[in-house]
Amino acid sequence: MFGKKVSESDVLRALRQVVDPDLHRDIVSLGFIKNLKIEDSVVSFDINLTTPACPVKERMREEARRAVAQLEGVREVRVNMTAEVRPHLGLDRSALAGVRNLVAVGSGKGGVGKSTVAVNLAAAWRASGARVGLLDADIYGPAVPIMLGHGQQAEVRDNRILPAEHHGLRFISMGLFVPGDKPLIWRGPMAHKALQQCLFDVEWGELDYLLVDLPPGTGDVHLTLAQSVPVTGAVIVSTPQDVGLVISMKTLRMFQQTNIPILGIVENMSYYVCSHCGAREEIFGHGGARRASEELGVPFLGEIPIDVRIRQQADTGTPIVLADPESPAAQAYRAIAERLAAQISIVNYQMTPLRIEEVST
Amino acid sequence: MSAHASVRPTAIKKIGASEIHILWSDGHASTYRASYLRRHCRCALCVEELTGRPLLAPEMIPDDLTIVSVELVGQYALHFQWSDGHSTGIYPFAELRALCPCPHCASASS
Ligand SMILES: Nc1ncnc2c1ncn2[C@@H]1O[C@H](COP(=O)(O)OP(=O)(O)O)[C@@H](O)[C@H]1O
Ligand SMILES: [Mg+2]
Ligand SMILES: [Zn+2]
Ligand SMILES: [Zn+2]
Ligand SMILES: [Zn+2]
Repeated sequence: MFGKKVSESDVLRALRQVVDPDLHRDIVSLGFIKNLKIEDSVVSFDINLTTPACPVKERMREEARRAVAQLEGVREVRVNMTAEVRPHLGLDRSALAGVRNLVAVGSGKGGVGKSTVAVNLAAAWRASGARVGLLDADIYGPAVPIMLGHGQQAEVRDNRILPAEHHGLRFISMGLFVPGDKPLIWRGPMAHKALQQCLFDVEWGELDYLLVDLPPGTGDVHLTLAQSVPVTGAVIVSTPQDVGLVISMKTLRMFQQTNIPILGIVENMSYYVCSHCGAREEIFGHGGARRASEELGVPFLGEIPIDVRIRQQADTGTPIVLADPESPAAQAYRAIAERLAAQISIVNYQMTPLRIEEVST
Repeated sequence: MSAHASVRPTAIKKIGASEIHILWSDGHASTYRASYLRRHCRCALCVEELTGRPLLAPEMIPDDLTIVSVELVGQYALHFQWSDGHSTGIYPFAELRALCPCPHCASASS
Protein backbone atom coordinates (compact mmCIF):
# COMPACT_ATOMS: atom_id res chain seq x y z
CA MET A 1 0.00 0.00 0.00
CA PHE A 2 1.59 3.23 -1.11
CA GLY A 3 -1.51 5.42 -1.24
CA LYS A 4 -2.22 8.35 1.02
CA LYS A 5 -2.98 7.55 4.63
CA VAL A 6 -6.27 9.01 5.80
CA SER A 7 -6.20 11.00 9.05
CA GLU A 8 -8.82 11.60 11.73
CA SER A 9 -9.17 15.21 10.69
CA ASP A 10 -9.80 14.17 7.06
CA VAL A 11 -12.61 11.93 8.27
CA LEU A 12 -14.12 14.59 10.52
CA ARG A 13 -13.94 17.16 7.73
CA ALA A 14 -15.83 14.76 5.45
CA LEU A 15 -18.42 14.05 8.14
CA ARG A 16 -19.15 17.76 8.50
CA GLN A 17 -21.09 17.48 5.27
CA VAL A 18 -23.68 15.35 7.05
CA VAL A 19 -26.35 17.52 8.62
CA ASP A 20 -28.96 16.42 11.13
CA PRO A 21 -32.19 17.52 9.41
CA ASP A 22 -33.93 18.25 12.71
CA LEU A 23 -31.20 20.15 14.50
CA HIS A 24 -29.89 21.82 11.33
CA ARG A 25 -26.27 21.31 12.23
CA ASP A 26 -23.58 18.94 11.09
CA ILE A 27 -23.09 15.75 13.05
CA VAL A 28 -19.49 16.60 13.97
CA SER A 29 -20.19 19.90 15.68
CA LEU A 30 -23.22 18.30 17.34
CA GLY A 31 -20.78 15.92 19.00
CA PHE A 32 -22.45 12.83 17.55
CA ILE A 33 -19.22 11.16 16.35
CA LYS A 34 -17.74 8.78 18.91
CA ASN A 35 -15.06 6.06 18.92
CA LEU A 36 -13.44 7.12 15.67
CA LYS A 37 -10.80 4.55 14.70
CA ILE A 38 -8.62 4.18 11.62
CA GLU A 39 -6.83 0.87 11.15
CA ASP A 40 -5.37 -0.37 7.88
CA SER A 41 -7.51 2.00 5.80
CA VAL A 42 -10.62 0.81 7.61
CA VAL A 43 -12.49 3.70 9.23
CA SER A 44 -14.98 2.93 11.97
CA PHE A 45 -17.03 5.24 14.20
CA ASP A 46 -20.28 5.56 16.11
CA ILE A 47 -22.95 8.12 15.34
CA ASN A 48 -24.56 8.77 18.70
CA LEU A 49 -28.03 10.17 17.94
CA THR A 50 -30.35 11.99 20.33
CA THR A 51 -33.02 9.29 20.19
CA PRO A 52 -33.21 5.65 19.12
CA ALA A 53 -36.54 6.56 17.48
CA CYS A 54 -34.80 8.76 14.91
CA PRO A 55 -36.83 8.96 11.69
CA VAL A 56 -33.77 9.53 9.49
CA LYS A 57 -31.34 7.14 11.12
CA GLU A 58 -30.65 5.07 8.00
CA ARG A 59 -30.31 8.12 5.81
CA MET A 60 -27.68 9.63 8.09
CA ARG A 61 -25.81 6.36 8.30
CA GLU A 62 -25.69 6.15 4.51
CA GLU A 63 -24.68 9.80 4.04
CA ALA A 64 -21.89 9.43 6.59
CA ARG A 65 -20.67 6.21 5.07
CA ARG A 66 -20.60 7.74 1.60
CA ALA A 67 -18.86 10.93 2.71
CA VAL A 68 -16.02 8.97 4.28
CA ALA A 69 -15.82 6.25 1.62
CA GLN A 70 -14.97 8.78 -1.07
CA LEU A 71 -11.83 9.92 0.79
CA GLU A 72 -8.55 8.81 -0.65
CA GLY A 73 -6.96 5.99 1.32
CA VAL A 74 -10.21 4.57 2.71
CA ARG A 75 -10.89 0.94 1.92
CA GLU A 76 -13.86 0.33 4.18
CA VAL A 77 -16.22 2.36 6.39
CA ARG A 78 -18.02 0.89 9.38
CA VAL A 79 -20.77 3.06 10.85
CA ASN A 80 -22.32 2.01 14.11
CA MET A 81 -25.56 3.80 15.03
CA THR A 82 -26.05 4.41 18.74
CA ALA A 83 -28.41 6.70 20.62
CA GLU A 84 -28.47 8.54 23.86
CA VAL A 85 -31.53 10.61 24.71
CA ARG A 86 -30.27 13.93 26.07
CA PRO A 87 -31.87 15.09 29.30
CA HIS A 88 -34.17 18.08 29.40
CA LEU A 89 -32.39 20.66 31.51
CA GLY A 90 -33.54 21.10 35.04
CA LEU A 91 -35.02 17.64 35.54
CA ASP A 92 -33.06 16.65 38.60
CA ARG A 93 -35.46 16.69 41.51
CA SER A 94 -35.05 13.71 43.80
CA ALA A 95 -36.77 10.65 42.38
CA LEU A 96 -37.02 12.19 38.94
CA ALA A 97 -33.26 12.50 38.64
CA GLY A 98 -33.13 9.55 36.25
CA VAL A 99 -35.93 10.87 34.02
CA ARG A 100 -34.61 12.65 30.97
CA ASN A 101 -37.80 13.95 29.46
CA LEU A 102 -41.28 14.51 30.76
CA VAL A 103 -43.83 14.74 27.97
CA ALA A 104 -47.45 15.72 28.62
CA VAL A 105 -50.27 14.35 26.47
CA GLY A 106 -53.38 16.51 26.49
CA SER A 107 -56.67 16.92 24.66
CA GLY A 108 -59.55 19.34 24.65
CA LYS A 109 -62.11 16.71 25.66
CA GLY A 110 -62.34 13.06 26.64
CA GLY A 111 -62.78 10.11 24.32
CA VAL A 112 -60.54 11.40 21.53
CA GLY A 113 -58.07 8.55 22.00
CA LYS A 114 -55.52 10.41 24.10
CA SER A 115 -54.70 7.43 26.33
CA THR A 116 -54.55 5.07 23.36
CA VAL A 117 -52.11 7.44 21.68
CA ALA A 118 -50.00 7.75 24.83
CA VAL A 119 -49.78 3.99 25.31
CA ASN A 120 -48.94 3.26 21.68
CA LEU A 121 -46.33 6.02 21.48
CA ALA A 122 -44.75 4.60 24.62
CA ALA A 123 -44.75 1.12 23.12
CA ALA A 124 -43.25 2.37 19.84
CA TRP A 125 -40.43 4.16 21.68
CA ARG A 126 -39.82 1.09 23.80
CA ALA A 127 -39.64 -1.09 20.70
CA SER A 128 -36.99 1.22 19.28
CA GLY A 129 -34.88 0.71 22.41
CA ALA A 130 -35.78 3.73 24.57
CA ARG A 131 -36.66 3.40 28.26
CA VAL A 132 -40.20 4.63 28.75
CA GLY A 133 -42.66 5.25 31.57
CA LEU A 134 -46.30 6.35 31.70
CA LEU A 135 -47.96 8.40 34.38
CA ASP A 136 -51.73 8.08 34.20
CA ALA A 137 -52.90 11.43 35.53
CA ASP A 138 -56.35 11.27 33.97
CA ILE A 139 -58.27 10.98 37.19
CA TYR A 140 -61.60 10.98 35.37
CA GLY A 141 -60.87 7.93 33.26
CA PRO A 142 -57.70 6.08 34.22
CA ALA A 143 -56.99 3.74 31.33
CA VAL A 144 -53.28 3.05 31.14
CA PRO A 145 -53.19 -0.09 33.37
CA ILE A 146 -56.03 -1.66 31.36
CA MET A 147 -54.45 -0.82 28.02
CA LEU A 148 -51.13 -2.27 29.18
CA GLY A 149 -52.61 -5.41 30.70
CA HIS A 150 -51.49 -4.80 34.28
CA GLY A 151 -48.54 -7.21 34.48
CA GLN A 152 -46.32 -6.61 37.50
CA GLN A 153 -48.38 -4.57 39.99
CA ALA A 154 -47.19 -1.37 41.59
CA GLU A 155 -45.69 -1.98 45.03
CA VAL A 156 -45.04 0.12 48.10
CA ARG A 157 -41.75 -0.49 49.91
CA ASP A 158 -40.56 1.74 52.81
CA ASN A 159 -42.58 4.70 51.65
CA ARG A 160 -41.20 4.40 48.13
CA ILE A 161 -43.43 3.25 45.33
CA LEU A 162 -42.27 0.92 42.61
CA PRO A 163 -44.23 1.45 39.38
CA ALA A 164 -46.12 -1.37 37.72
CA GLU A 165 -44.36 -2.90 34.75
CA HIS A 166 -45.51 -4.69 31.59
CA HIS A 167 -44.32 -4.90 27.98
CA GLY A 168 -41.11 -3.27 29.23
CA LEU A 169 -43.02 -0.12 30.22
CA ARG A 170 -43.22 1.31 33.72
CA PHE A 171 -46.51 2.91 34.69
CA ILE A 172 -48.53 4.24 37.57
CA SER A 173 -52.02 5.69 38.01
CA MET A 174 -52.77 8.71 40.10
CA GLY A 175 -55.85 6.86 41.32
CA LEU A 176 -53.56 4.78 43.53
CA PHE A 177 -52.95 7.78 45.73
CA VAL A 178 -56.52 8.59 46.58
CA PRO A 179 -57.45 7.49 50.03
CA GLY A 180 -60.67 5.49 50.42
CA ASP A 181 -63.36 5.23 47.77
CA LYS A 182 -62.95 7.04 44.48
CA PRO A 183 -64.33 10.54 44.97
CA LEU A 184 -66.72 11.78 42.32
CA ILE A 185 -65.12 15.15 42.24
CA TRP A 186 -61.45 15.71 42.71
CA ARG A 187 -60.74 18.83 44.60
CA GLY A 188 -57.69 20.83 43.62
CA PRO A 189 -55.50 20.05 46.63
CA MET A 190 -56.19 16.32 46.32
CA ALA A 191 -55.15 16.22 42.66
CA HIS A 192 -52.15 18.37 43.47
CA LYS A 193 -50.92 16.01 46.17
CA ALA A 194 -51.57 12.82 44.19
CA LEU A 195 -49.68 14.12 41.17
CA GLN A 196 -46.74 15.20 43.29
CA GLN A 197 -46.60 11.73 44.80
CA CYS A 198 -46.63 10.16 41.34
CA LEU A 199 -43.76 12.39 40.34
CA PHE A 200 -41.57 12.38 43.41
CA ASP A 201 -42.40 9.28 45.47
CA VAL A 202 -42.33 6.79 42.63
CA GLU A 203 -39.05 5.05 41.81
CA TRP A 204 -39.11 5.72 38.10
CA GLY A 205 -35.45 4.81 37.71
CA GLU A 206 -33.70 5.61 34.46
CA LEU A 207 -36.13 6.72 31.76
CA ASP A 208 -35.58 8.45 28.45
CA TYR A 209 -39.22 9.48 28.24
CA LEU A 210 -41.95 9.73 30.86
CA LEU A 211 -45.32 10.33 29.23
CA VAL A 212 -48.03 11.96 31.34
CA ASP A 213 -51.60 11.17 30.29
CA LEU A 214 -53.39 14.33 31.45
CA PRO A 215 -57.10 14.74 32.10
CA PRO A 216 -58.96 16.33 29.17
CA GLY A 217 -59.32 20.09 29.14
CA THR A 218 -57.42 22.29 31.52
CA GLY A 219 -57.25 22.32 35.29
CA ASP A 220 -55.44 21.70 38.53
CA VAL A 221 -53.45 18.71 37.31
CA HIS A 222 -52.00 20.71 34.42
CA LEU A 223 -51.08 23.58 36.66
CA THR A 224 -49.49 21.33 39.27
CA LEU A 225 -47.45 19.63 36.59
CA ALA A 226 -46.23 22.93 35.13
CA GLN A 227 -45.34 24.24 38.58
CA SER A 228 -43.64 21.10 39.86
CA VAL A 229 -41.31 20.01 37.09
CA PRO A 230 -39.71 21.30 33.91
CA VAL A 231 -41.86 19.64 31.25
CA THR A 232 -40.02 19.07 27.97
CA GLY A 233 -43.22 19.70 26.04
CA ALA A 234 -46.79 18.72 25.33
CA VAL A 235 -48.59 16.77 22.61
CA ILE A 236 -52.21 17.56 21.78
CA VAL A 237 -54.52 14.83 20.52
CA SER A 238 -57.64 15.84 18.64
CA THR A 239 -60.15 14.30 16.22
CA PRO A 240 -61.82 15.64 13.07
CA GLN A 241 -65.01 15.74 15.11
CA ASP A 242 -63.66 18.28 17.58
CA VAL A 243 -65.81 21.32 16.99
CA GLY A 244 -63.47 23.46 14.92
CA LEU A 245 -60.68 22.32 17.21
CA VAL A 246 -61.75 25.09 19.52
CA ILE A 247 -61.45 23.08 22.70
CA SER A 248 -58.06 21.68 21.79
CA MET A 249 -56.86 25.21 21.15
CA LYS A 250 -57.83 26.17 24.67
CA THR A 251 -55.65 23.36 25.99
CA LEU A 252 -52.85 24.43 23.69
CA ARG A 253 -52.98 28.00 24.96
CA MET A 254 -52.87 26.81 28.53
CA PHE A 255 -49.61 24.97 27.82
CA GLN A 256 -48.20 28.07 26.16
CA GLN A 257 -49.16 30.24 29.10
CA THR A 258 -47.23 28.01 31.45
CA ASN A 259 -44.26 28.04 29.04
CA ILE A 260 -44.56 24.38 28.09
CA PRO A 261 -43.45 23.99 24.48
CA ILE A 262 -46.00 22.42 22.12
CA LEU A 263 -44.25 19.43 20.56
CA GLY A 264 -47.04 18.84 18.10
CA ILE A 265 -50.63 17.91 17.30
CA VAL A 266 -51.88 14.40 16.49
CA GLU A 267 -55.12 13.82 14.64
CA ASN A 268 -56.79 10.60 15.74
CA MET A 269 -59.62 8.80 13.89
CA SER A 270 -58.70 10.75 10.77
CA TYR A 271 -59.81 8.23 8.21
CA TYR A 272 -61.35 4.83 8.01
CA VAL A 273 -59.69 1.79 6.52
CA CYS A 274 -62.15 -0.84 5.30
CA SER A 275 -61.23 -4.08 7.04
CA HIS A 276 -62.22 -6.05 3.94
CA CYS A 277 -60.62 -4.24 1.03
CA GLY A 278 -58.26 -1.81 2.74
CA ALA A 279 -59.80 1.20 0.98
CA ARG A 280 -59.32 4.50 2.74
CA GLU A 281 -62.35 6.60 3.48
CA GLU A 282 -61.97 10.16 4.69
CA ILE A 283 -63.88 11.37 7.70
CA PHE A 284 -65.80 14.61 7.52
CA GLY A 285 -63.64 17.44 8.83
CA HIS A 286 -60.45 15.43 8.42
CA GLY A 287 -57.35 17.58 8.00
CA GLY A 288 -58.45 20.29 10.43
CA ALA A 289 -55.66 19.52 12.86
CA ARG A 290 -53.05 19.76 10.13
CA ARG A 291 -54.38 23.14 9.00
CA ALA A 292 -54.60 24.41 12.57
CA SER A 293 -51.03 23.40 13.30
CA GLU A 294 -49.83 25.14 10.16
CA GLU A 295 -51.62 28.33 11.16
CA LEU A 296 -50.20 28.16 14.66
CA GLY A 297 -46.70 27.22 13.56
CA VAL A 298 -46.87 24.05 15.65
CA PRO A 299 -45.54 20.72 14.28
CA PHE A 300 -48.15 18.36 12.88
CA LEU A 301 -47.13 14.88 14.02
CA GLY A 302 -49.49 12.74 11.96
CA GLU A 303 -52.87 11.04 11.62
CA ILE A 304 -54.19 7.73 12.92
CA PRO A 305 -56.97 5.78 11.18
CA ILE A 306 -60.11 4.49 12.84
CA ASP A 307 -59.48 0.81 13.24
CA VAL A 308 -61.48 -1.51 15.50
CA ARG A 309 -58.31 -3.48 16.19
CA ILE A 310 -56.85 -0.45 17.94
CA ARG A 311 -59.67 -0.68 20.47
CA GLN A 312 -59.64 -4.48 20.63
CA GLN A 313 -55.91 -4.55 21.33
CA ALA A 314 -56.23 -1.82 23.93
CA ASP A 315 -59.01 -3.76 25.64
CA THR A 316 -56.92 -6.92 25.83
CA GLY A 317 -53.90 -5.13 27.24
CA THR A 318 -51.44 -5.25 24.34
CA PRO A 319 -51.14 -2.02 22.34
CA ILE A 320 -51.51 -2.59 18.60
CA VAL A 321 -47.96 -1.33 18.05
CA LEU A 322 -46.78 -4.48 19.84
CA ALA A 323 -49.60 -6.86 18.90
CA ASP A 324 -49.54 -6.19 15.16
CA PRO A 325 -46.49 -4.05 14.36
CA GLU A 326 -47.00 -4.19 10.59
CA SER A 327 -50.65 -3.03 10.61
CA PRO A 328 -51.31 0.42 9.09
CA ALA A 329 -52.35 1.68 12.52
CA ALA A 330 -49.09 0.53 14.13
CA GLN A 331 -47.13 2.17 11.33
CA ALA A 332 -49.01 5.41 11.86
CA TYR A 333 -48.24 5.39 15.60
CA ARG A 334 -44.59 4.57 14.94
CA ALA A 335 -44.18 7.44 12.46
CA ILE A 336 -45.69 9.81 15.03
CA ALA A 337 -43.42 8.47 17.77
CA GLU A 338 -40.40 9.16 15.58
CA ARG A 339 -41.48 12.69 14.69
CA LEU A 340 -42.22 13.39 18.34
CA ALA A 341 -38.80 12.10 19.43
CA ALA A 342 -37.24 14.43 16.86
CA GLN A 343 -39.22 17.40 18.25
CA ILE A 344 -38.05 16.53 21.76
CA SER A 345 -34.44 16.50 20.60
CA ILE A 346 -34.96 19.90 18.98
CA VAL A 347 -36.44 21.44 22.14
CA ASN A 348 -33.61 20.07 24.27
CA TYR A 349 -31.05 21.33 21.83
CA GLN A 350 -32.49 24.86 21.70
CA MET A 351 -33.43 25.13 25.33
CA THR A 352 -31.41 27.50 27.42
CA PRO A 353 -31.93 26.60 31.05
CA LEU A 354 -33.63 29.35 33.00
CA ARG A 355 -31.90 30.13 36.25
CA ILE A 356 -31.65 33.10 38.52
CA GLU A 357 -28.26 34.68 38.78
CA GLU A 358 -27.46 36.58 41.96
CA VAL A 359 -25.43 39.73 41.46
CA SER A 360 -24.19 41.67 44.47
CA THR A 361 -24.01 45.42 44.28
CA MET B 1 -53.70 35.85 24.34
CA SER B 2 -51.63 38.87 25.23
CA ALA B 3 -49.05 40.02 22.73
CA HIS B 4 -46.26 39.03 25.05
CA ALA B 5 -47.37 35.48 25.82
CA SER B 6 -44.69 33.91 23.67
CA VAL B 7 -41.87 36.16 24.88
CA ARG B 8 -39.63 34.28 27.32
CA PRO B 9 -36.91 35.46 29.65
CA THR B 10 -33.43 34.62 28.44
CA ALA B 11 -31.67 35.82 31.59
CA ILE B 12 -32.90 36.59 35.10
CA LYS B 13 -30.77 38.44 37.61
CA LYS B 14 -31.32 39.40 41.19
CA ILE B 15 -29.31 42.56 41.70
CA GLY B 16 -28.47 43.14 45.34
CA ALA B 17 -31.40 42.63 47.68
CA SER B 18 -34.05 44.79 46.08
CA GLU B 19 -33.92 44.55 42.30
CA ILE B 20 -34.79 42.01 39.60
CA HIS B 21 -33.51 42.32 36.09
CA ILE B 22 -35.00 40.31 33.20
CA LEU B 23 -33.72 40.12 29.65
CA TRP B 24 -36.43 38.92 27.22
CA SER B 25 -36.23 36.80 24.10
CA ASP B 26 -37.28 39.80 21.98
CA GLY B 27 -34.29 41.78 23.28
CA HIS B 28 -36.25 43.96 25.70
CA ALA B 29 -34.81 44.46 29.20
CA SER B 30 -36.85 45.12 32.34
CA THR B 31 -35.77 46.21 35.80
CA TYR B 32 -38.14 45.88 38.75
CA ARG B 33 -37.81 47.18 42.27
CA ALA B 34 -38.91 44.77 45.01
CA SER B 35 -41.43 47.26 46.41
CA TYR B 36 -42.96 47.76 42.95
CA LEU B 37 -43.47 44.02 42.43
CA ARG B 38 -44.76 43.52 45.96
CA ARG B 39 -47.39 46.26 45.39
CA HIS B 40 -48.54 44.43 42.27
CA CYS B 41 -48.99 41.08 43.99
CA ARG B 42 -52.09 39.32 42.61
CA CYS B 43 -52.38 36.63 45.29
CA ALA B 44 -55.62 35.93 47.14
CA LEU B 45 -54.42 37.85 50.20
CA CYS B 46 -53.67 40.98 48.15
CA VAL B 47 -56.57 40.95 45.66
CA GLU B 48 -60.12 39.80 46.42
CA GLU B 49 -60.62 36.78 44.19
CA LEU B 50 -64.17 37.32 42.98
CA THR B 51 -64.32 41.09 42.65
CA GLY B 52 -60.68 41.87 41.86
CA ARG B 53 -60.84 44.55 44.59
CA PRO B 54 -57.36 45.38 45.91
CA LEU B 55 -56.86 44.38 49.56
CA LEU B 56 -53.44 45.95 49.75
CA ALA B 57 -52.80 49.67 49.89
CA PRO B 58 -49.57 50.62 48.09
CA GLU B 59 -48.48 52.79 51.02
CA MET B 60 -48.49 49.70 53.27
CA ILE B 61 -45.35 48.56 51.45
CA PRO B 62 -42.09 50.25 52.44
CA ASP B 63 -39.96 51.52 49.56
CA ASP B 64 -36.93 49.75 50.98
CA LEU B 65 -38.60 46.32 50.94
CA THR B 66 -36.13 43.59 50.02
CA ILE B 67 -36.16 40.12 48.46
CA VAL B 68 -35.44 37.38 50.97
CA SER B 69 -35.50 34.74 48.27
CA VAL B 70 -36.62 34.29 44.68
CA GLU B 71 -37.06 31.03 42.82
CA LEU B 72 -38.41 29.70 39.54
CA VAL B 73 -41.86 28.13 39.41
CA GLY B 74 -41.54 25.47 36.71
CA GLN B 75 -40.46 27.33 33.61
CA TYR B 76 -43.12 29.99 33.66
CA ALA B 77 -43.11 32.15 36.78
CA LEU B 78 -41.16 33.61 39.70
CA HIS B 79 -41.97 33.15 43.35
CA PHE B 80 -40.69 35.64 45.92
CA GLN B 81 -40.34 35.77 49.62
CA TRP B 82 -40.35 39.42 50.68
CA SER B 83 -38.82 41.04 53.75
CA ASP B 84 -42.32 41.88 55.08
CA GLY B 85 -42.97 38.14 55.44
CA HIS B 86 -45.31 37.89 52.44
CA SER B 87 -44.71 34.92 50.12
CA THR B 88 -47.97 33.80 48.52
CA GLY B 89 -47.68 35.57 45.16
CA ILE B 90 -46.64 33.90 41.91
CA TYR B 91 -45.55 36.11 39.01
CA PRO B 92 -45.93 34.43 35.59
CA PHE B 93 -43.47 35.78 33.04
CA ALA B 94 -46.26 37.08 30.80
CA GLU B 95 -47.52 39.11 33.76
CA LEU B 96 -44.03 40.34 34.62
CA ARG B 97 -43.56 41.50 31.08
CA ALA B 98 -46.87 43.38 31.21
CA LEU B 99 -45.68 44.97 34.48
CA CYS B 100 -42.44 46.28 32.96
CA PRO B 101 -42.06 49.78 34.42
CA CYS B 102 -39.77 51.16 31.71
CA PRO B 103 -40.98 54.42 30.09
CA HIS B 104 -41.61 52.70 26.77
CA CYS B 105 -43.87 49.97 28.23
CA ALA B 106 -45.54 52.33 30.70
CA SER B 107 -46.61 54.72 27.91
CA ALA B 108 -47.78 51.82 25.73
CA SER B 109 -50.06 50.44 28.44
CA SER B 110 -51.63 53.70 29.53
N1 LIG C 1 -57.89 5.22 16.15
C1 LIG C 1 -58.82 4.55 16.83
N2 LIG C 1 -59.63 3.67 16.19
C2 LIG C 1 -60.58 3.00 16.88
N3 LIG C 1 -60.82 3.13 18.19
C3 LIG C 1 -60.06 4.00 18.86
C4 LIG C 1 -59.01 4.73 18.23
N4 LIG C 1 -58.40 5.52 19.16
C5 LIG C 1 -59.04 5.27 20.33
N5 LIG C 1 -60.04 4.36 20.16
C6 LIG C 1 -60.98 3.87 21.18
O1 LIG C 1 -61.74 5.00 21.59
C7 LIG C 1 -62.04 4.93 22.98
C8 LIG C 1 -61.51 6.18 23.68
O2 LIG C 1 -60.09 6.18 23.61
P1 LIG C 1 -59.21 6.67 24.84
O3 LIG C 1 -57.78 6.51 24.44
O4 LIG C 1 -59.63 6.02 26.10
O5 LIG C 1 -59.60 8.21 24.83
P2 LIG C 1 -59.26 9.38 25.87
O6 LIG C 1 -58.06 8.97 26.64
O7 LIG C 1 -59.04 10.58 25.01
O8 LIG C 1 -60.46 9.54 26.73
C9 LIG C 1 -61.39 3.65 23.47
O9 LIG C 1 -62.36 2.64 23.48
C10 LIG C 1 -60.33 3.35 22.43
O10 LIG C 1 -60.03 1.99 22.35
MG1 LIG D 1 -57.99 8.51 28.68
ZN1 LIG E 1 -64.13 -2.17 1.48
ZN1 LIG F 1 -49.85 38.80 47.74
ZN1 LIG G 1 -40.38 47.71 29.19
